[in-house]
Amino acid sequence: MTLPDWMLLLQWGDAGWGDEMVRGMLMTLAVAMAAFLLGIVIGTLGAALKLSRYMLLRFIGEAYTTLIRGVPDLLVIYLLFFGGSMALMAVARVFGYEDYIELDAFAIGTIALGTISGAYATEVIRGAVLSVPKGQIEAAKACGMSRFLLFRRIMVPQVARFALPGLGNVWQLTLKDTSLISIVGLVEIMRQASVASGSTQKPFTFYLAAGVLYLVLTAFSNKGFGLAELWANRGVRRA
Amino acid sequence: MKRFLTALALASIAFSGAADAKDFKAGSKVRIATEGAYAPWNFTDASGKLDGFEVDLYANLCERMSVQCDLVQTAWEGIIPALQAGKFDAIMAGMSITDKRKEVITFSRSYMGSPASFVVLKASPLAGLSAGLDALTLAGVDAKEKAGLDSMKAALKGKTVGVQISTTHENFLNEYMGDTVTVKTYDTQENLDLDLVAGRIDAALASLSYWVPLLEGEKGKTMAMVGPKMDGGPFGNGVGAGIRQDDQELADMFTKAIDEARADGTISTLSTKWFGFDGTPKE
Repeated sequence: MTLPDWMLLLQWGDAGWGDEMVRGMLMTLAVAMAAFLLGIVIGTLGAALKLSRYMLLRFIGEAYTTLIRGVPDLLVIYLLFFGGSMALMAVARVFGYEDYIELDAFAIGTIALGTISGAYATEVIRGAVLSVPKGQIEAAKACGMSRFLLFRRIMVPQVARFALPGLGNVWQLTLKDTSLISIVGLVEIMRQASVASGSTQKPFTFYLAAGVLYLVLTAFSNKGFGLAELWANRGVRRA
Repeated sequence: MKRFLTALALASIAFSGAADAKDFKAGSKVRIATEGAYAPWNFTDASGKLDGFEVDLYANLCERMSVQCDLVQTAWEGIIPALQAGKFDAIMAGMSITDKRKEVITFSRSYMGSPASFVVLKASPLAGLSAGLDALTLAGVDAKEKAGLDSMKAALKGKTVGVQISTTHENFLNEYMGDTVTVKTYDTQENLDLDLVAGRIDAALASLSYWVPLLEGEKGKTMAMVGPKMDGGPFGNGVGAGIRQDDQELADMFTKAIDEARADGTISTLSTKWFGFDGTPKE
């Protein structure tokens, strides 16, 4: 029995593209996770800025989210990718280093996507902070909790719970945005699919396979976020 | 996108010139960029290894120049800004030599000619399109060539022609037929092929080096090449290695090596192997 064409193309090993595509999927997953985590860190800082009592800090937070959310993601990536290495080399030349400096594609991709997902995470976390009832904060202060204890015992558990559905959204966005960073030379799902289809003249096979791989990733992460929400909502009565 | 990239490339020269001129000589390290997704020029095989006409040729040229070469795989989008930024020293990615590109980078002499041709579906009414010409050189057009060009233009009037964006073929369509045909641009040749097969465009314009292998294969069974093989003018002066303007001596080294490879038949052998026709560029 001979296998159909698409199965031959997608087989494992040196004769097919199966292993390359799966490696692309792992790369997508790795960049997305790194960028998402970076995004949460940036988002937490961003939310703190936007909720600050100082006008300057609020302004910085506002400028960041407005800029990043208002400009196409691809543009942010281009600017960081080309501008970043040029700026670095210009600085290095000042110190007399003339050689070419390669910026790690993974690092650039993570920074670019993290900056983008951070802007969305900022809004999600800010919303979650505002959802914590004011009375609880006043009660905690009345009990004599220190600011740190209030943050740890009252804010974090509730903010995490309120933010989870929104962060799940940000995760999916980040996951799909990874397709844009193929330009930095990182071989993720989309780049691998376009290389394979350009090399074999079989675009359907590879773009469909890429679609399936993205669906696998999103389906599993949906399940993951569902479980996380269940866990975060334990002890909360459902209406 | 193209205009943006060009602007970015210009800006990169203007306010930093990040990549200063390097000294290239025998023994130097040269980083050469290719796309790895443009069969048969350069592509990736199923084991992830680069292969193709330029992958064979670069090794041969580097040996002639006695330099150490690294082949870097990079995306076609933004390949010129990346050259300007110093991510690599030369581009060998099926890039045609054009005046527009020469505004921002320099080229070696051509290592491959780049005739272009229209392709339509065999079932299309355009399948009989002929301009009464076999080949058409768009520099110094004579009366017969002018008549051929006009008859082609008349046949394509009101049709939609697909073309890959940021290519010489797009320039040709806009310059010669932009007023009578609808030009539809695509980010990749594959998407263009898909729309041709789907009937969303009436004709496609690309280089012979792309069409010949495609039409021999399974996917090209329903397609036919029509009209003359066009060269010169907006199609540029063949395909060469793209190099930063600061690195003229590297371009000269490439030119010398390419001339040797033309003279001893290396390019003829390689182009026949990969394209099915001898594309050794003329003087």
